[in-house]
Amino acid sequence: MKKLLAWAILLLGITYFILPLVGMTEFSLSMRRGVYSLDAYRAVLADPRFHQTFGYSVIMALLTIVFGVLLVVPTAFWVQLKMPHLRPVVEFVTLLPLVIPAIVIVFGYIRLYNTSSWLPLTGTTFGTNLLLMLGYATLSLPYMYRAVDTGLRTIDVATLTEAAQSLGAGWTTILARVILPNVLVAVLSGAFVTFAIVMGEFTMAALLNRPAFGPYLQLMGANKAYEPFALAVIAFVITWACMGLIQLVTRFSKHTKAAR
Amino acid sequence: MTFLTIEHLEKSFGPNRVVKDFNLSVEKGEFVSLLGPSGCGKTTVLRMVAGFEAPSAGRIAIDGADVVRLRPNQRNIGMVFQAYALFPNLTVAQNVGFGLKVKGTPRAEIAARVAEMLALIGLPDLGGRYPFQLSGGQQQRVALARALAPKPQVLLLDEPLSALDAKVRVSLRNEIRAIQRELGITTIFVTHDQEEALSMSDRVVVMHQGVADQVGTPFEIYNQPATRFVANFVGTLNILEAEVIDPSLGHVRLPGGQARLGRPLPTGRVTLAARPEMVKLGAEGRDTALQGRITEVDFLGSVIRIRADLGGAVLAFDTFNTSHARPPRVGETVQLGLNAADLLVLQD
Repeated sequence: MKKLLAWAILLLGITYFILPLVGMTEFSLSMRRGVYSLDAYRAVLADPRFHQTFGYSVIMALLTIVFGVLLVVPTAFWVQLKMPHLRPVVEFVTLLPLVIPAIVIVFGYIRLYNTSSWLPLTGTTFGTNLLLMLGYATLSLPYMYRAVDTGLRTIDVATLTEAAQSLGAGWTTILARVILPNVLVAVLSGAFVTFAIVMGEFTMAALLNRPAFGPYLQLMGANKAYEPFALAVIAFVITWACMGLIQLVTRFSKHTKAAR
Repeated sequence: MTFLTIEHLEKSFGPNRVVKDFNLSVEKGEFVSLLGPSGCGKTTVLRMVAGFEAPSAGRIAIDGADVVRLRPNQRNIGMVFQAYALFPNLTVAQNVGFGLKVKGTPRAEIAARVAEMLALIGLPDLGGRYPFQLSGGQQQRVALARALAPKPQVLLLDEPLSALDAKVRVSLRNEIRAIQRELGITTIFVTHDQEEALSMSDRVVVMHQGVADQVGTPFEIYNQPATRFVANFVGTLNILEAEVIDPSLGHVRLPGGQARLGRPLPTGRVTLAARPEMVKLGAEGRDTALQGRITEVDFLGSVIRIRADLGGAVLAFDTFNTSHARPPRVGETVQLGLNAADLLVLQD
């Protein structure tokens, strides 16, 4: 009886998650009356705005990942090595983007960095892009920091650092050749989550008026019937591909295999 | 000529003085062990030499140059850690060549030196493996090769054998000593294992509560311990409280008998000690006889360890197992012989 109940709950859960996806995919294939077709996908892929916004978001995601790695890896390394007592404070700070809504953060940015401020980032396209990238990095901080911190906990950071130091290595060499390669799987996990976040982010890009994929999704949703669902399916595929890549990287990481 | 000099070294962590006025001079090519129990400050001294801890006071000089202000990567010191600390993302060859690569050594030179080091540690064919594919003993050999590859001035070994099983430990300690002799590298070895320290070292520093209690050759440390702590920590020891009968002649009354030490003693009571191997069953050929009752007989194969109650003190001693002589029985009253010259007078 207990087993039956467990199966029933599992089935209910699966239905709850899968049914909307099935419905959405089914609807995205129903553009042509009476038969399933890829017309909605064709229409989306033929739209130059799709290419423009998708390309823009991909570039922003890559830049955000690079910035996030450069910010988070040294920070998490230093906290673990030299200031473990500050770990709760750093963890709290990295969690703030989950508590403060993106709209509040972006209004804060606009207020701080508008054209009449001491650092008028919103005055130029480059400045606004930079601000958006920093905003994305802030949004992905909880995931990137946790992934890197977890990776660092799996290696003996202190001893490896001391071993490298005794062999003549400075901080840059230690981070680049010893620490980063050993937490690469964790960094990539954080990177893929960051990629997924940036690809779907709407609020910051819309309020900073940048041609990102998120606002394009919203625009399509407001004006078209089938295309938004095709876009949503594409967005899901991108997210799942990222998740799949995390699994693949973990599996094929040569030096992290268990000892034989 | 002194190669490594440590003078008046002090280290405090908050209110705790972990190392107190530590002094040591090490000759070039010498193998010196820092021996002591956990928390005695031996690893802290080593870490200060390596540059991982900054001394609260004192001076560390290598080949005449003060290194206290130098960062660890500027000291040209090789270090082997208890936990191996091999870089998991690099192969054995890449690990061994790491220090040379950091120095900017040409690739061909690195390859030649790596091959030389791998041959030295007896693992010439394992250069392409990753650390997780090696046993503990092999990993520690690679760690040693990695530390030696950049030709450091001083080699520091921080309990490198502690994580290994007993058999590997013995073979590796012989290998380490042979390699150290072959290269003539000045070495400081930290251990809490007295057997390792005594068997490997030119000199041993016995540390206790942040202080070097005694510095001497293994023979001196074992046979002429300077303090009660050294006598207790190094080897097994029988402690005998004695009453001085004649201070000038060194005549004392012990549990189970009397002894004439033939050297002046303070008046009152003294603490004497005897190594188990100095005590013999039967007083024949010995100048001091003590009477006791056998309380314990442990048959250990080649050796039989016996304990006797002297009436106020227990004396443990070893006798070789021979097929024609029966071991004493528990409860039997026996005479135990020793030479008064072998009795150590302990100071606190």
